[in-house]
Amino acid sequence: MLVDSVQVGTISPPTTEPQPLWRIAGLAGLLAAELLVISARTPHIALQDVPGLPGLVFSLGTWKVRILVTLAIISLLVWQSRGKRNLGRLSEWPVGTGIAWRWLLAHLAVILLFAGLTSLLFENRLQGLAADILVVGWVAAGAAAVVLAACAFLPAAFWRALLRGTGDVWAYVLVLGVGACVLAAYATPIWNPLAHWTLMLAWMLLRPFVPGLSADPSSMIFGTHAFSVQVAPACSGYEGIGLILAFTAGWLWFFRREWRFPRALLLIPLGVAAMWVFNAMRVAALVLIGVAGAPGIALQGFHSHAGWIAFNVVALGTCLAARRISWLTTAGSVGTWPAERSEPNPAERSEPNPIAPYLMPFLAILAAGMLAGATSNGFEWLYVLRVAAAGAALWYFRDSYRTLDWRVGWPAVALGGLVFVIWIGLEPLAGSVRTGEPSALAHASALARMAWLAVRVLGAVITVPIAEELAFRGFLLRRLVSADFESVAWRAFAWAPFLISSIGFGLMHGDRWLAGTMAGMIYAFAMLRRGRIGEAAAAHAVTNALLAIYVLATGNWQLW
Amino acid sequence: MHMKSTIIKVAGTALLLAGMGGLLLAFASTPEIDGASAGNALALLGGAVLLIRSRKK
Repeated sequence: MLVDSVQVGTISPPTTEPQPLWRIAGLAGLLAAELLVISARTPHIALQDVPGLPGLVFSLGTWKVRILVTLAIISLLVWQSRGKRNLGRLSEWPVGTGIAWRWLLAHLAVILLFAGLTSLLFENRLQGLAADILVVGWVAAGAAAVVLAACAFLPAAFWRALLRGTGDVWAYVLVLGVGACVLAAYATPIWNPLAHWTLMLAWMLLRPFVPGLSADPSSMIFGTHAFSVQVAPACSGYEGIGLILAFTAGWLWFFRREWRFPRALLLIPLGVAAMWVFNAMRVAALVLIGVAGAPGIALQGFHSHAGWIAFNVVALGTCLAARRISWLTTAGSVGTWPAERSEPNPAERSEPNPIAPYLMPFLAILAAGMLAGATSNGFEWLYVLRVAAAGAALWYFRDSYRTLDWRVGWPAVALGGLVFVIWIGLEPLAGSVRTGEPSALAHASALARMAWLAVRVLGAVITVPIAEELAFRGFLLRRLVSADFESVAWRAFAWAPFLISSIGFGLMHGDRWLAGTMAGMIYAFAMLRRGRIGEAAAAHAVTNALLAIYVLATGNWQLW
Repeated sequence: MHMKSTIIKVAGTALLLAGMGGLLLAFASTPEIDGASAGNALALLGGAVLLIRSRKK
C-alpha cells in the first residue's frame, strides 16, 4: 500500500482518533455535492425581473461566486495572521466516536425539503406575498440543512469552541466581504467616463502613426474607414484595474514586513495607472493590427489574450521594480534572492535558483501559448512557439535534470492508458461540443498541415508531459510538503499536497477539471510509487499520445 | 504606540478592502479579460512570483 511505504517528516504520527479537519473536509464535500446536484437542475435565470424577494435572490445569485471567493480569500488572509494558533489547537480537539447518524438523517430530510422548495421557487416565477414567504422558507431550510450536517459531522461543542477561538475574526471577515461587494457595486457607474478617457489616450497614442484615424466620444467608435471598433464601457480597462488592485494589495499584505508604510501604498495607484495606460495601448494596438490588414487577428486572438498579457506584464513589472527601490523597502529584508540583498555575497550571486529548472519549462509554455494565442485568428498556427520555448528551457537547465531519476517501467504506461480511458469517459461532463478539424488547417497546403500536426504531436507527447510533470509533481507536490522542497524525498506522500497539487493540475484544464484532477492524482501515484519523475512523465506522455491518436482517428478535435 | 497600532490595523483593513473590491471588479464579465485563458494567465503569474521569491537555502 502506498501510504505504508513512504514517510513525511512534517506529518503527525498516525492516530486512531479521527481528525476534526477531516470531518470538516467531509462536511464540505457533502454540502458541495448536494449543492451541485440541486443547482444543476435550477433555472436560475427564471427569477430575473421578478419583483420582491425572488428578484433579490436572482441578484444575489449573480454575485454568489464572487461573494464566496471573496469571503474565502479574506478568511484565509485573516486566519493566516490571527486565527492560526486557535485553529491549530482545534485540530487537536477530541472528535469523539463516529458521525451522529440521527443528525445526518435529519439533514437529509431537510435537504430534500430544500430541493423541493428550490424547484418550486425557480420553476414557477411566483410573485407577491406567497413568493416572499417561499423565499424565507427556502433560506431557512438551507440554513437548517447546513447546521444539521455540521452537527452530524462534529459535536455542537466543537463549533462553539471554533467560534470562541477565532474571536472577532468572523465579524471582521463578514464586514470586509460585504464592504468589498458594496465597493465593487458602487464603482460600476464610473465605467463610462473611464472608457471615454481610455478612448482618448488610445487615439493620442495612435494618431502619429495612422492617417485618417478618428475617435468619436459620442458613439465610442475608434479607427479608420478600413477598420474600426467600438470601445464599450466594459473595455475601459476596469477588469484589469480590478486584477492589479487585488494583486498589489495582496502582495503588500503578504509581505508587509518588507515594506516601508505608508510610502509602499504608492504602489497601488501606480499599478492601477500603469494598468490603465496598458489597456489604452491594448486598444490602440488592436486598431493598429486591424488597420494593418489583419482584422481577424485583431478581433479574435489579440482581443481576448492581450488583456492577460498586459496584466501579467504590469503585475510582475511592479513587484520586480518595487523590490529594487530601497526607499520603499525595509533595510535588508526584501530580496530573498541573493542578487537583491542589501549586502550581496559574491559567492551567492552565482547560486542557481533551485525552482527554476522545475518551473521554467512550464512557464515558458504558458507565456508562449499566450503570445501564440494573441497572434491567432481563431486557429493557433504558432503552436510551434510553445514547443520551442519549452525545448529551449529544458535544454538550458539540462544539467539539473541529470540528477533526476528518469527511468520508466511498464506500470507507468498502463497508468497513462488508464488516464486516457478516464479522460474520454468523463468528456460528456465537460459539456464540450464535437468539432471537426479546424477549417484553417483543413484548407492549408499538405506540407503546412503535416508540419503543424507533427509539431502539435511533438508538443503533446514530449515537451508538455516533461514540463508539466516537473512543475506539478517534481516541484509543487514536494513544495507543499516542505518549503525546502529539495530535501523532500521523491516517494514522500502526504494527503494534502497530493490532493492540492492534483486539483491545481485539474483546474489548469478548464471544463475538464475533474478529469484533469484524476489525471493529476494518477500521475502523482506513478511518481510516488517508485520515487521517479520519469514514471509520471512517461504516464503523461502515453495519455497524450493516445489522445493524439484518438483525435486524429475519430476527428474529435475538441479534445485538442 | 497604541495609536500607531490602530493606524496600522486600519490601513491593513483598507488594503484588504481595496484588494477584495478589485477582485470582485475583476470577476465582472468583460471581453478584455478572456475567462478561458484565466487559468493559464494566473498560473503564469503565480509561477513567476514563486520564481521571484525563491532562494537557495
